[in-house]
Amino acid sequence: MVGRYPDFDVFDAVETWDHATRKVIEDRMALAGRPLRFFTPEEEPTLRAFCDTVMAQDDEPRVPVAEFVDDKLAAGRLDGYQYADMPDDRETWRLVLAGLDEAARDRFGAEGFAAADPTGREEVVDALAAGKLSGGSWERLNVTRAWSVVMHAVLTGFYSHPWAWNEIGFGGPAYPRGFMRLGPVSTLEPFESPGATQEDPVRIVAEGEV
Amino acid sequence: MRDLIRGILKGAVGPEANDSRFLLDVHSRDLPGESTMVRYDDSDEVDLVVVGAGAGGSVLAQRLARAGWRVVILEAGPFWHPDEDWVSDEAGSHQLYWTQKRIIGGSDPIPMGSNNSGRGVGGSMVHYAGYCPRFHPSDFHTHSVDGVGADWPITYEDLRPHYEQVERELPVAGQDWPWGHPHRYPFSPHPVSEQGAVLWRGAIRAGVEMRVGPVGIVNGTFGNRPHCIYRGYCLQGCKVNAKASPYVTHLPDALAHRVEIRADCMVARVELDDATGRAVGVVYHDEVGGTERLQRARFVAVSGYSIETPRLLLQSTSRRFPHGLGNNDDQVGRYVMVQGAAQTAGRFPEEIRQYKAPPPEVSSEQFYETDPARGFARGFSIQTVGPLPITWSEHVLADGHWGRALREYMRDYNHWATIGVLNELLPHQDNRVTLAEETDPYGLPVARFDFSVGDNDQANMDYSTKVIKDILEAAGAQDVLTVHRYAHLVGGARMGTSPESSVLDANQRIWGVPNVFCSDGSVMPTQGSANPALTIMALASRLAERMASGRAMDSSGALVG
Repeated sequence: MVGRYPDFDVFDAVETWDHATRKVIEDRMALAGRPLRFFTPEEEPTLRAFCDTVMAQDDEPRVPVAEFVDDKLAAGRLDGYQYADMPDDRETWRLVLAGLDEAARDRFGAEGFAAADPTGREEVVDALAAGKLSGGSWERLNVTRAWSVVMHAVLTGFYSHPWAWNEIGFGGPAYPRGFMRLGPVSTLEPFESPGATQEDPVRIVAEGEV
Repeated sequence: MRDLIRGILKGAVGPEANDSRFLLDVHSRDLPGESTMVRYDDSDEVDLVVVGAGAGGSVLAQRLARAGWRVVILEAGPFWHPDEDWVSDEAGSHQLYWTQKRIIGGSDPIPMGSNNSGRGVGGSMVHYAGYCPRFHPSDFHTHSVDGVGADWPITYEDLRPHYEQVERELPVAGQDWPWGHPHRYPFSPHPVSEQGAVLWRGAIRAGVEMRVGPVGIVNGTFGNRPHCIYRGYCLQGCKVNAKASPYVTHLPDALAHRVEIRADCMVARVELDDATGRAVGVVYHDEVGGTERLQRARFVAVSGYSIETPRLLLQSTSRRFPHGLGNNDDQVGRYVMVQGAAQTAGRFPEEIRQYKAPPPEVSSEQFYETDPARGFARGFSIQTVGPLPITWSEHVLADGHWGRALREYMRDYNHWATIGVLNELLPHQDNRVTLAEETDPYGLPVARFDFSVGDNDQANMDYSTKVIKDILEAAGAQDVLTVHRYAHLVGGARMGTSPESSVLDANQRIWGVPNVFCSDGSVMPTQGSANPALTIMALASRLAERMASGRAMDSSGALVG
């Protein structure tokens, strides 16, 4: 994906971040490549294939989404609620990964979700997003809610990473620096740079150009 | 005349009987006085034990400590040290929320945690956005006037002096307010960002009046509280000390008046003496797996908010109250309310950068009151919001995008502006908190919260979503994207005029128990379409005044003087 903010890097301002924030972000970046603690070696390929598919990450370097999710679940950092018709989030994740493998086997005769080709994986995820998977592990879940539970964790992992902020032109941590140029006439801070392009995503997605 | 002078002098006149702003340290965000804080012994019968160091509990403690009461606050969460514990980062602020498990059910289950439940000293105001509107006078008698909801046992006039006092303490900044009971604010409105300006322009074209504020964010000099730096991380805990929360507005003064805050203490039950019918104190755990401790107290105030307060009352069984404290008429945990909080974002050709400036900026209460022409009772308010990237990605996901489409929408983040509503959803007896079978690490049953939207609620939400779409279109948005969600919590231990239909009397005291009060959002019979923080504080301020004078302990439970 072509970067919209080629001249922007949140790390240019790293010296202005407070030490507590900087440590949290550096720890998060250090998750990359760390062995998984919550998911089993058997679950790992499915987890990675799922995170790659839903975040359209098909190349290195990757934002370590799988490691983020694993760390969150291993540490028990849950979100404070559990739907009455759903298991605990940790159990939900295991069931979703098992269900993805089952769907790939049923649909394509693939060994598992990770072994399916990209188009096949997207077809399965499409069905999951639409709540249209059933049988096997899916019978133990409310499929629509399972999608929102897993995607909440995946999106938090991806968009908490500085590389994602660079892609979207987000200013990142802002304490104690703050902002002096709020608008309202599109003024930018010296460390912000305008987008190089400005395609309307609604049109691009609607016309199938992604 | 006094109001006029204050209005002219704006922030130059500070609040009375609260020195918090001077006690804060200019160079450190720690709560001053922690190291020298008084420590009471469990067996030492204090005057008041408060359960929960949030908006309701902290104001009550600060006021009564000033009146000479010996007060202990037990808080389930940690004692924050913001310089180290709070970060300028969305995902890194997870520990500010009450993330202990709750079971959610009903036809519209409400996700708990990030946008409605706090944990730790300061409560959920640590991560609230900062909007501080008052309730309207009509909110206190919706049943008589609109035929829906419930009447409060008190009126707007009972709360008005406390609204004024708390607004000076936070302090609240905003334009002169034309809706409800018209009033001024102690501080001038904050500057408006690109996003605020774009949305406001759209509102004007759509015929919707908006005003800047009201927000509990310092705009000028206020003791040792710094000016806002507009970094946009209000929902992640204000590392600046500019945004109001009890941590900076009331607890410094409370500690200076010999209040003890005992953090990391989970209260298991209010202990009742069945012989006298009086509470003797509260039983709590100071660690998981630890032995039970009993803090003795003359009075108990439960300030755990709309989930934990009912949970604690239901857990507090005794011979007199076999189904939970104050629950002999099956009222505890009922009438819990949330507000509809749909948000609509619009795409603009120019960059907006909605992450800059505090999310709460400009708001409207033009649609707050009942308008028969709209086809439903009561109304909604409109407020600007500014989702940071993770929250924004949830909006995009909710619009049906993932994978490459989601990445495409996301990299366009800077071109979107977001505005939200708060709908007054009506109280219903089946929207309630009960105890689930599952237990937490302390061995206490977790709460279950069932919620279902009613017909009037749905009509209100449908109408309001259309209004904010119109605003965005009038502003020139090329496309709009709407997410349906909920925010805030109130009710669950409501005050009323009889024990058959409420948990508390007009003094927020549990019917039939002479020395247990509730001081938090759970006491509210209705919620208006205002953010609840300011009203929770004003109610606590009023309760403290009545407890200090002894009027709250009048046995009739009715309003006396």
